[in-house]
Amino acid sequence: MKLSKYTKFRPEKFGGVLFETRSEKVFTLNPTAAAVVSEIGSGADEPVIIERLKIRFEDRDGSIEREAVEFIAELRQKGLIEE
Amino acid sequence: MSAQTPAQGATGSGDLGAPLYVAWQLTNECNLACLHCIEESGPGKAFRDELAPAQTLRIVDQLAALSVPYLSLSGGEPMVHPSFFALVERICAAGTELKIETNGHFLEAANCERLHSLGVKAVQVSLDGASRETYNRMRARGDFDRAVAGIRALATAGVPIEINYSPSRFNVHEIGAAVDLAHELGAYSFYTGRTMYTGNAVKTWRTLAPDEQQYVSFFEVLRAKSAQYRGRMRVYFHELGLLEELRYRLKHPAALLIVLPNGLVKLINALPFVCGDLRTQSLEEVWASFQRAWNDPRVAQFVDDLADDPRKTAALHQWVYLS
Repeated sequence: MKLSKYTKFRPEKFGGVLFETRSEKVFTLNPTAAAVVSEIGSGADEPVIIERLKIRFEDRDGSIEREAVEFIAELRQKGLIEE
Repeated sequence: MSAQTPAQGATGSGDLGAPLYVAWQLTNECNLACLHCIEESGPGKAFRDELAPAQTLRIVDQLAALSVPYLSLSGGEPMVHPSFFALVERICAAGTELKIETNGHFLEAANCERLHSLGVKAVQVSLDGASRETYNRMRARGDFDRAVAGIRALATAGVPIEINYSPSRFNVHEIGAAVDLAHELGAYSFYTGRTMYTGNAVKTWRTLAPDEQQYVSFFEVLRAKSAQYRGRMRVYFHELGLLEELRYRLKHPAALLIVLPNGLVKLINALPFVCGDLRTQSLEEVWASFQRAWNDPRVAQFVDDLADDPRKTAALHQWVYLS
């Protein structure tokens, strides 16, 4: 899994931004979303990303895992990531 | 956890550490002398104080250092700039997505292959007409066949293509055919909107400007074409007038810097305000000035005054320096 060809990610104080340069659409990310995208940028697969996030954000009730799965699906649906 | 567009979320350009998009007018020199050119570009129209090659490379390096993801090179005609390919090479090597905005007259096969091998994101060609009669009238010294041949060379080389179309009284009826032609030539995006009353258009407005009834038909055709090509080619058009656009921008400034050929930085093309100078300031300093400048009362006043006098845009080239 990786960011799609024309998608750029930049960390920001509030989290990060994704810029799909082909459609010139900008998406703002909160800190946990930015962490997901940062992990995608490192080339990690989805299960690895989720495990890392659960540790990093101390996921005690499973909410981080659930949100990460949903968020990755949203990125896929918007064409911002590719396999 | 979410990915929101700025319209959905609360984050505007003021929250960002650097611009997301830099539109760089590399030179004011151009081989054409178009009736509607907002920059008043043309043969012999290069600014006397345009940036030296070493200065342009320093700006590219600053853009990369601040992770600016997206840059466009325009003009004038950017491909007549002596450092054009050196800049393209440096920009693409830094990983910045690059769009070239050109009149298409220098898109020989070898140049297109070079642009492809360097990895430009897209080349946007201005094609204001679906026939040589209208195009050649609009683009003085221009040649429709040469522009179309250039677009075909881009397609052959595998360079993604965008088409830009400026409406006029005498080409507005061709908009449907122009969208069809763009698709036939392999474009993935088509852009148009209202022609602005500034630059060369101030002198040619009587013969140039479409009337409101023509605009009504123009946008009707575009809505139909947008639906017709959905999923195959994006048809973007701005129906809003300039005043509405500027009022929106006052509340939601785009994270976009406009860099002029001499290194001055404008707030937005449709305003006369200059907020920085890349010859004497770093990109970080200019970005901070840009964010402050949108709150300068003179900017809002100019937009308010436009409501009373739309012809104020005639003076966009009389720069107002905001410090």
